[in-house]
Amino acid sequence: MNELARYAREYKGTLILLITIAILSGASIIAQAYFIVRIVDQIFLQDAVWNDVLPLFGWLAVALVARAMLTFASGRTGAWMSAKVKQTIREQLLAKYTRNPVQASLQGQSGRKISVMLDAVDEVDSYFSRYIPQVIQTSIVPLMILIAAFTQDLISALILMVTAPFIPLFFVIIGIKTQKKSEEQMGQLSAFSGTFLDTLQGLTTLKLFGQSKKQRDAIEDSSFKFRDATLEVLKVAFISSLMLEYISMLGVGLIALELGLRLVLFESVTFLTAFFLLVLAPEFYVAIRELGSAFHTGRGSIGAAALITSELDQKEDRVQWGERVLSSDQPPEIAFKDVQFKYGEDGFKLGPLNAEISPFEKSALIGKSGSGKTTALHLLSGLMAPSEGTILVDNRPLSEYTEESWFSKLSYISQQPFIFSGTLGENIAIGSTRHATREEIEAAAEKAGLAELISSLEKGLDTPVGEAGRGLSGGEKQRLALARAFLKKPSVILFDEPTTGLDLRTEKILTSSMKELGEHATVITVAHRLYTIRQADQILLLEDGTLSAKGKHDELLKSASYREMVDVQEGGVPQ
Amino acid sequence: MNDLKIVLKEIAKERKDVWYSVLFGFLGGITTAGLFASSGYLISKAALVPPVYTLALMIAFLKVFGLAKAGSRYGERIYSHRATFNILARIRVNFFEKLEPLAPGIFQKFRSGDLLARIVGDVESLQNFFLRVYYPPVVLVLIFLSTMFFTAFYSIWIPLLFLGGLLLTGLILPALFAVRRKKLEEEVREARAALSTDAAEVLYGFRDLKIYQQLDQKEEELRQSAASYVNNQEKTGSQGMLNQSFNQSAGLLVSWGVLAMSVYLAVNGDLDALFLAMLVMLALTVFENATPMALLANHYEDSRHAAQRLNEVTDMKPVEAEEPFQSLDKNTLDIQFKEVSYKFEGESRPVVDSVSFSLPAGSKTAVVGASGSGKSTIFQLILGILRTEDGEIEIGGKNLKHVPSSDIWRHANVVMQENHFFFGTIRDNLLIAGESFSDVELSEALRLTDLNRFELDDPVLEKGENLSGGERQRLAIARAMLKGDRLWLLDEPTSSVDSVTESRVMSALFEKAENGTLLLISHRLTGLEHMDRILVMDHGRLVESGTYQELMEKKGIFYEMKQIEQEVFL
Repeated sequence: MNELARYAREYKGTLILLITIAILSGASIIAQAYFIVRIVDQIFLQDAVWNDVLPLFGWLAVALVARAMLTFASGRTGAWMSAKVKQTIREQLLAKYTRNPVQASLQGQSGRKISVMLDAVDEVDSYFSRYIPQVIQTSIVPLMILIAAFTQDLISALILMVTAPFIPLFFVIIGIKTQKKSEEQMGQLSAFSGTFLDTLQGLTTLKLFGQSKKQRDAIEDSSFKFRDATLEVLKVAFISSLMLEYISMLGVGLIALELGLRLVLFESVTFLTAFFLLVLAPEFYVAIRELGSAFHTGRGSIGAAALITSELDQKEDRVQWGERVLSSDQPPEIAFKDVQFKYGEDGFKLGPLNAEISPFEKSALIGKSGSGKTTALHLLSGLMAPSEGTILVDNRPLSEYTEESWFSKLSYISQQPFIFSGTLGENIAIGSTRHATREEIEAAAEKAGLAELISSLEKGLDTPVGEAGRGLSGGEKQRLALARAFLKKPSVILFDEPTTGLDLRTEKILTSSMKELGEHATVITVAHRLYTIRQADQILLLEDGTLSAKGKHDELLKSASYREMVDVQEGGVPQ
Repeated sequence: MNDLKIVLKEIAKERKDVWYSVLFGFLGGITTAGLFASSGYLISKAALVPPVYTLALMIAFLKVFGLAKAGSRYGERIYSHRATFNILARIRVNFFEKLEPLAPGIFQKFRSGDLLARIVGDVESLQNFFLRVYYPPVVLVLIFLSTMFFTAFYSIWIPLLFLGGLLLTGLILPALFAVRRKKLEEEVREARAALSTDAAEVLYGFRDLKIYQQLDQKEEELRQSAASYVNNQEKTGSQGMLNQSFNQSAGLLVSWGVLAMSVYLAVNGDLDALFLAMLVMLALTVFENATPMALLANHYEDSRHAAQRLNEVTDMKPVEAEEPFQSLDKNTLDIQFKEVSYKFEGESRPVVDSVSFSLPAGSKTAVVGASGSGKSTIFQLILGILRTEDGEIEIGGKNLKHVPSSDIWRHANVVMQENHFFFGTIRDNLLIAGESFSDVELSEALRLTDLNRFELDDPVLEKGENLSGGERQRLAIARAMLKGDRLWLLDEPTSSVDSVTESRVMSALFEKAENGTLLLISHRLTGLEHMDRILVMDHGRLVESGTYQELMEKKGIFYEMKQIEQEVFL
């Protein structure tokens, strides 16, 4: 819980407010008891008349309403603090995720990250909105009641003081005894709840094998086991609260006995004092016991907090940018100088890479999957920074230029371009940072081969796409990505296998669009087609993260591994 | 309430535990009230200096109430939770029974992957219905009725006050709050959806956003939607707490009223002042039971929502065969497609567009084409997972319209692109093919699929996540080989298997399938030379068909695809 406590400490004012509210709550509880007791005493023993107790009734009403409203104020303050913390954590996570360049290469984990941002952060809520206010209440209210008791009657107060520690003590004893057991049970619980989901997911398979009917019994069986395991855990909790009730009952009973005896036999205590203590005693125990339930709610946040902390503590390598503006309209000279990159300590290592890419040159990056092609593109694009070595652009390190001037020269077209929820036109328009006219967007769409699609749509460019809109096929997404690039007019283009898995016709359209787009730019393609490779001015062959050969097709045929690849290709897949 | 029929029906079956929950809940409430009331009475009585035995008796009374109270609370918790879990277990089974006939068609309909997770979550959230909505009001009313009965002995006005208080805290206030609350929760849901969309855009679209320099703007949008979500949550949370505080205030004020009324009566001599302490303690305790009622409407709404969503799923009609039912004959499994088309709901273009072909029994056919060309849909039509009115499919001369899906499946060995594996062992997962296989047969199937490195007792985690993609595919093939029926339907069964292993496994498979009719969707164009026929699909249409040799000579689409495949370098 320490991570969460750290956030809470930043809200000193709020904590002081919560303490104030707790003190007022304690006061209202004591006041409530006092006024009730006074009223009863006045009427019962002092033979007072209606008018004598009228002001007391007024005060009692104030105390009662104050008590309820203070409970609200305490919760409200907690909720406010929780909202602030949740927003802070989300912003921290967001900053972490977007500043950390490896994000670009770990797209696969995005689902998990979204769940951290949404669910894990929400789970932190109860710690701030309930646990903290409750802990503060519990550490103040019983103390105040105890003090009030001491001012009235020493013996009763001593009984309270002696019995009270049994409650936390009991929590500890039960906690130690059952924690391991209940953790075991919890493990089983999650396994059981998984079975139901597992069975539902496998229903298709089960049905095709004619086995689905039998699963009904399996579900029933696991559900009942789930029930038994849960009840085991709950029983422990119920028994501990039973024990705690007994302890507090014992305390209240002792006080009642002691007060009764002293009232009757020794007459050493007044009715007013006795009744007052008798009303306060249960409040005292209830306030202590609530710590237990608060502790329970706080526990739920721990796992989530740990998850968030581990996300936030992850090492980050920011990409450095400089002040220089990359101005020329011409494509720049690009060079890799001893460029290396490592994922983590024992992770995949790329490089050292050395290569030059001249303006307007068409380069093909080839290699088996996992050989580092995409990593190389990420480094060149400036999405990730090399661990060692430099990427030179017009003979200066890429890190000396401004981020803005480099990215406005660059397009990166991957296998899975992202479609945002918005209209088709808006999705193309993000290609340009300045405002694009309708005509420009239409022209870009046309060049990318989207004209046919757009004219077939009732709303044309205004058709909503993305999550809430029309689904786009793989080829349509690629064309949309190309349209963005046409709008942008980049001088460096990176293609990451964009035509994989498309049908012939789409591929043809895309290939010609890509060619047109590349006429005014330097193009680096992660290539799969022998056709593209043969046409390339320069081929870079990556093997296990190192550049094993470079040159034109004819030159490379001298390299054994390149020749082997080509041979395999031309002879078909080995049988 | 109609939505909640699925829960109510199950609650009815737990009659005994429901009774116990109510009984113990009532006993708990009434003994707590008794405990406090009698302590008030005791102390007042003691002030009048009675004989000691009265005092001893009273204290004994107190102890009994205290013990009974703690015991009843324990009993109530145990019984109500046991009932809840029994109810949940039954709902799960029940839901499964309803969902079972709908699968796998329903998974085609709901393409979203979270459907199942949502179902599981909804079933779980129904646990609050019994625990917080169904029986607590009964207990509350019983406690109030008893209290009213008891206090009626002292004055007729006091029970009336209690009745008013019950209506106020148990009915009027919660109902007022529920309306406002519903709107707020709607807003929270919307804000959450917006946040989730924005987070997905920033994280999934990171690379594109970064390079197009739109990241800052999107981040700002995300920050704003996060803030608005948190705001809405805060508002809803505060609203809930305010409701509870109002309810608590109302309860406390009615107790105040009870005290005021008693004092008034006592002053006028209509009530013995000895009972004042008892009555006020009683009121304060009894109204504590009413505070949770503030949230009853929320729990009710949540349960209703969950039940409604579950009903949406189970209300669907399965795609089923029409009567008179017919059964396939395993010896004549030739397949005919006559002008078959299929369109997914809400889509304008058919995924399968007037496709006709005829595959003799025992023939081996490959289906090729780009992704989205309709290959998998043809499979699902043959399997009866999808059914169409448009065109006719016959297997062994029987119109599929009249053949129940389960009958088709009985004759088919199916390997899909994604096959499900269950938590358990390799053996468990193979025995899904049929339970009578000996370990020798199972090991043989593993050997044929090049999975020798596995023992039958090796564990398989949920969804087979401890196996590689290729291993999962081969395990699915092993399962299909064990089943060994005559109709083989294989949808890219070896897309993640390396080519050497692939050819070994496929030749074992073809040996097994020697007498069967086999249909193979293939992602690669190699190794199709020995197929009896190749069907080439493009945009839902069957554009070419013939043997490998014929298609290559024709130099049409297949030939062109083959050229491109050869171009594919790595």
